[in-house]
Amino acid sequence: MQLKNVIDSPCALRFMLDKLELQSGLARRCLLDMEMLTDAESIAACYDVLRHFARFVADTDHVHISTLLFKLQTLKDIGTTIRNLEHHATLDDIELFEVKHLAILAVDVKKLLRQHGLDQAVEVPDLDEVITILDPDGLKMASFYIYDSYCQQLKDLRTKMRQHPELSDQLLLEAGEIELEVRTDLSKQLHHFAPTIKRALLALARIDIELAKALQIKQMGLCFPVISQDGVSSFEGLFHPQVKEALETVGRTFQPVDISFGLKPTLITGANMGGKTVVLKTLTLCQYLFQFGFGIPAASATIDVKSHIFFCIGDEQSVEKGLSSFAAEMKNIDAVIKASRNERNLLALIDEPARTTNPTEGTALVTALLKVLAQADMSLILTTHYDIEPGDARCLRVKGFDNGVMNYALVEVLDGEAPHEALNIAQLLNIDPQWITLARDIVNTAAK
Amino acid sequence: MPFINDILKYGSLSIVGLEKNTGKTECLKYVLGRLPVDSRRIAVTSIGIDGETVDQVTRTQKPEITLPEGMYFATSEAHYKLRRVVSELIDVSDERTSLGRVVTARALTTGKVLLSGPSSAAGLVRWMSQMKQMGIDLTIVDGALSRLSSASPAVSQSMILATGAAFSINVNTLVQKTAFVVQLIDLPLAADDTRRCFDNLDKGIWWLDDEGALHELSAGTSLSQDIHFEGMEHCRALFVTGALVDGFVEKLRSRKGLKDVELVVRDFTRIFVTPQTLKMFLRGGGRLTVLQKSKLIAVTVNPTSPSGYVLDSDTLCHKLSEAIELPVYDLLKAS
Repeated sequence: MQLKNVIDSPCALRFMLDKLELQSGLARRCLLDMEMLTDAESIAACYDVLRHFARFVADTDHVHISTLLFKLQTLKDIGTTIRNLEHHATLDDIELFEVKHLAILAVDVKKLLRQHGLDQAVEVPDLDEVITILDPDGLKMASFYIYDSYCQQLKDLRTKMRQHPELSDQLLLEAGEIELEVRTDLSKQLHHFAPTIKRALLALARIDIELAKALQIKQMGLCFPVISQDGVSSFEGLFHPQVKEALETVGRTFQPVDISFGLKPTLITGANMGGKTVVLKTLTLCQYLFQFGFGIPAASATIDVKSHIFFCIGDEQSVEKGLSSFAAEMKNIDAVIKASRNERNLLALIDEPARTTNPTEGTALVTALLKVLAQADMSLILTTHYDIEPGDARCLRVKGFDNGVMNYALVEVLDGEAPHEALNIAQLLNIDPQWITLARDIVNTAAK
Repeated sequence: MPFINDILKYGSLSIVGLEKNTGKTECLKYVLGRLPVDSRRIAVTSIGIDGETVDQVTRTQKPEITLPEGMYFATSEAHYKLRRVVSELIDVSDERTSLGRVVTARALTTGKVLLSGPSSAAGLVRWMSQMKQMGIDLTIVDGALSRLSSASPAVSQSMILATGAAFSINVNTLVQKTAFVVQLIDLPLAADDTRRCFDNLDKGIWWLDDEGALHELSAGTSLSQDIHFEGMEHCRALFVTGALVDGFVEKLRSRKGLKDVELVVRDFTRIFVTPQTLKMFLRGGGRLTVLQKSKLIAVTVNPTSPSGYVLDSDTLCHKLSEAIELPVYDLLKAS
């Protein structure tokens, strides 16, 4: 599973990527091609590297950070050129320029990393020999042409060209043949360095990525997660960066929540507008960010590594596929059940399953779903408005209205009974009183 | 030597042809051949694919540009490979054209290249500022108005306009039409604070009220049939981000209280109104200003039309010069 496959997950992973200040297109491509990490060791190694950069960003004067960023801006994806080199092709002037430019950039960046003690974090291979090949005069400049010093004959021809401009067309043809020989020879010499050049290219892209992640941690107030050893994930001060930003633009604040979950199913109930969906979105986002090695939007987080992540949010209509919202939802949940039979250690976050159907069958569907998935080796978090018999599931409930103010905190409760606050909330929203009063009468009559 | 010293007063120059075959390339050659390359760092490029060896539209010969030793130039990858000059690459940009990426190099001998540089306005501005960072004193843009290029030559500080028989073979019409373009190039800049307010807008029609607050007009473009100027009694300046067309100016003119409004466009290339409409608008008390303006240094003429018709060079230069109060040169004759 690559990052590009899940970037449009409704948890707003794309928002985080858009906020990432990558300097080069290459870094963006490398990041999107990254495979999701599914073992604790790789994730730990990834965060070790990121920690170096986070320290650098936190402790270093902005001028030095900008110097490095500015260098990385000039990073170009020369993958095609490297492939040509690997396949023994003769490079043209532009390709040789690209190789030289990359080599000089790698040496420069390496020097900067060493200055800031970051050379241990990402190893940039040495390309000094490549520079020597492409800079015969030792000018140390990031420009290139087939230098006179490659061949005496070429030098003579060019001198003649300057003295006799009228002959230049004929002389250029002759020089062109010699230049081709020189380029063939240079390409042959560089062929051996192709793997090293490729490693340097990827190392520079990695630096760009890690630096951007580190800057994001600082800017958004993200944290480094602890890798869970016992299957329990727990978050304190969890927030959704996109929702937080949207609230802040209208002068409101996001109320962070605390939550933990293990391998037992977790059932979240709560009033409408209580932030249940946001909690699921945030947990999904955090799990992806964790398994792609990003900072986590929480005050502190301990996260368990999962093999697959499923996020089923009810309102995805698949009209193009000819499916109703109910059908689309059923198919998505079906995929979770199928996966749970074959795979271990899944994470599934399901938002109000069967919400669009009648409450009798809906309640039955959700209760049964909970039972089916309780058997599997997975973490399941499910939100609902139905009154569900929780069985073994742990029940959390949004605190709800507290003196007319919504309190989004989650509290553990003993049963899964959904709160009956819809009418109160509708009233607070100034919905037509005739409608709401009548609805209240119907509820009261039914209760009797 | 005409106008070469004037060019050196500015950091950037665009050479604009009013039509194909109005001698723009001749003008560029003339300028490049006379600039002091040994004492100034000069870079040249062309907007868009403008360097075919044979002109793709008229099938007339389109010569390569001769560059003196030491001059910097930007062209596309494809044309770089066809160069007939020894040159040192100094940059390969991310800017893509239909002929590959835009590369910048320095000529190490005198030689010939086909120029085909950045094809978007933003790309051209980026290239110009990159050249400045590299210590280039003067950037020259070979630009065309008649081409469908989004890169406006108005981003340069100075400009030379090439006109000629290809634009019209009637001397009087040619003079009138050219004088109108000159009038547009010479439109005054909007006031500093007005420019600051409008500069970052790139879509829609906007207006500033007396208190400096910005409002957007519901009509998206000046081409819209559905333009209403209600509630604009306190309008100080009206900014059309895209093309300015006749209908819009007419509507504005017939609107009470807006007759003498300041109408602002980004640069003269956005104006598509007829001379008559503009005249009426200005006579009614309206003002037309721009956010970006180039200093017009000179106008050059090519009295020969592609069909072979030749106008009298002296008469043309004289009449045109009289009409626009600027020096006019027939460069083929001058050299």
